[in-house]
Amino acid sequence: MKKRIRFLAILASLCILLTAYTPAVMGSSASAASSELEGISAEVVDADLTCTITLGNWPPDTAPAAELALFEGYRAIMQLQYPNVTVVPAYFSYTLSNYLPMARGGTAPTVFQPPFTDPQLLINQNLVADVTDALEQFGILEKFSPSFVELLGDENGRIYGLPRDGYVLGMHININLFEQAGLMTDDGLPMIPKTLQELAEYGQIIREKTGKAGLVFPASETFGGWLYTNIAWNYGAVGENALQYQDADGRWMANFTSEPAVAAMEYLRSLRWDYDILNADATTTDWASAHSFLGTGEAAMNFAADDSVAEPTAGGGLAVDKFALIPFPAGPGGAYALTGGTCFMFAPDTTHDQAVATLGFLRIIGMLPFASDDIVAGMRAGAAARRERGVPVLPPIPAWNDADFIAVQREIAEEYANVDMRLYQDFFDSLTDGSVALKGEEPVFAQQLYRELTSVIQRLITREDADVLRALSQAQERFQEYLDDELNNR
Amino acid sequence: MQSPLILLCQRKEVGAVGKLKPRTRQQMISWLIMLPGILLFAFFVWAPLLQSIQMSLYRTRNIELLEFVGFNNYISIFRREEFHQALVNTFSYTFWSLLIGFLIPIFMALVIGETVRGKGFFRTAAYVPNILPGLAAIILWTAFFSAEATGVINILLSKLGIERMAFLSQANLVIPIIVLTATWKGAGATALIYMAGLSGINPELYEAATIDGAGIIKRIRHITLPAIFSLGSTLLILQIISIFQIMYEPLVLTKGGPDNASLSLMLLMWRYAFGGTMDFGRASAVAVIISVILLGFTALYSIVNRRKTEWE
Repeated sequence: MKKRIRFLAILASLCILLTAYTPAVMGSSASAASSELEGISAEVVDADLTCTITLGNWPPDTAPAAELALFEGYRAIMQLQYPNVTVVPAYFSYTLSNYLPMARGGTAPTVFQPPFTDPQLLINQNLVADVTDALEQFGILEKFSPSFVELLGDENGRIYGLPRDGYVLGMHININLFEQAGLMTDDGLPMIPKTLQELAEYGQIIREKTGKAGLVFPASETFGGWLYTNIAWNYGAVGENALQYQDADGRWMANFTSEPAVAAMEYLRSLRWDYDILNADATTTDWASAHSFLGTGEAAMNFAADDSVAEPTAGGGLAVDKFALIPFPAGPGGAYALTGGTCFMFAPDTTHDQAVATLGFLRIIGMLPFASDDIVAGMRAGAAARRERGVPVLPPIPAWNDADFIAVQREIAEEYANVDMRLYQDFFDSLTDGSVALKGEEPVFAQQLYRELTSVIQRLITREDADVLRALSQAQERFQEYLDDELNNR
Repeated sequence: MQSPLILLCQRKEVGAVGKLKPRTRQQMISWLIMLPGILLFAFFVWAPLLQSIQMSLYRTRNIELLEFVGFNNYISIFRREEFHQALVNTFSYTFWSLLIGFLIPIFMALVIGETVRGKGFFRTAAYVPNILPGLAAIILWTAFFSAEATGVINILLSKLGIERMAFLSQANLVIPIIVLTATWKGAGATALIYMAGLSGINPELYEAATIDGAGIIKRIRHITLPAIFSLGSTLLILQIISIFQIMYEPLVLTKGGPDNASLSLMLLMWRYAFGGTMDFGRASAVAVIISVILLGFTALYSIVNRRKTEWE
């Protein structure tokens, strides 16, 4: 009995200690980001604006304390600047399948963040609001680069959203596995694969030395096809060999059987059957689990971009000094890197007032392209929170056509830098020195194209005897039927 | 005790209702009682059903109808290879479900029925998987079948010196595996229904058979199975209807892969609607095709059942 009482007393003391200690830790971690918020003006911007806005992508209660405190701080400032605007947090993270019923049912958040693959689909389906007037009121329209006007607008020049940030596809590296495989330079840096061939060879060494996957390849749903397009470009599937093109009559044609496209698929096939560097369950691996594999040390390399460095580090537990981001390896046909990004778009029933209030909030969080004190303070707070969470603070890929704003973004990233920039230098250099050509996604029905190509990849990495050319021909036929149904014969 | 509504209608002084013939009055009462149910059905079942049929005949912009296209959506679907594959796969699901999923609950019911001690425990244990939320159960199985280092089955196999296997990447294994997971979740509930059926069998039949020297196998064969035959045939058709609508299991476990090897008709419908193209016209056409096939199965069942009743 005495033992039991003693045990319970120790347990209770531990609980009290933990509960007393936890807020202190959280409080201290939250403080740096919150103190940056003090730089944002508390003066009233518009006292007459009266509406309620629901903000998607609000951090859930389980998010790190620093992030929660940051957003609560943003909300408090919003309350001061727009006293009659009610901010309702929504823990909504966009996917097409969850957004559609909410948009049709009138329950979608006022603002949400789709990737660049979806704006045109959402605009064509009448599922987003026209916010041109609100953007004009904030003086943002002239800062749009022409490509974003095309991406976020319709044929009448109306605009339905604004860019959040861009990304460029490269490769995430788990340095721990490179170290275990002996793939390190004398400077203590990982020997990064500069070509797809080197990727295969390094992956093989890592597999042999560590038993872990050299490359995690998400080949489920549409992810595999998406990554394949970049590999195919680097094998030369561009220009006259592009995966899709318009013929002289303006008809869209699928072209999966060109020599470079076949060679790129042969390469992927070889990664499974010749080099054996892929993770075992590639056909069921999705984007999120690929990051998790890299973060937890189950794989050494992952095709991924600069906008997802938080997933393997803060999310997967990989220390920032054991993580590197490198350019997409070049192929025999060139060095391309897929570029895309994320944008802010608005629910279809958003009113002008709601759009204005939401833009006011985006200004507070430093997402509008101005180098004003308010916005700079918001950006600083964001960078401080990222650093505290253990996310690499990196220079952003510019989404706006404004040199001053871009310069400020870079300054802040440098100020809050928490990484050895040598682990990222090649990636960022490649964006400016021309060693990698940036390229947008395939022009029409990209998701359907990716799905067809993913099917081909799944067949090739699960059946050793599968014929590459035959699989690609069948996929080409299916995609051509789709193009005919949806575009050519309409 | 009669409801206030019935009592009210039965009172002669209630105006026009009181003047009606007793039969008409009774019919009216019946309709009134059914009215809430009919309204709910009309709103939640029949209206969406009719809307789906209508939508399948239109070109759509998400759920808006744009242009009447007749049977074009159906023609385009029938031309597509993915539909053929989904149709074949769905029948394959049905086959495996009958092979694995139909017999296991009967076996469980018989074994638990014959258990002398701990019957309550086994009954509860059999039902427990059914309590788990569907998605949670499938995610659990994903961890079991994973080919990565954390895959439970592969860890066990490695202890036995067997090489790691990528279960969910093998086209010929993936459907039986999915059926196995669905059976694991649903078999307990079905077994309980069989057990209820078994409890209705007159114990004197067993006693008489035992006195005549019948062993357990003969008792099951000549008493138990004939007694639950009717129940079994009803559950069979319900199982076919249920497995024909399989969707979230392949969606979570394999996303229809590898190379569409586990793509079901329902998953294809989901893909058309939410897989990136928002093609609700074709999605509705697939839904109507599934309904027609299931109507066919139900009609077949009714014919077989009627003939059996007549024969008896």
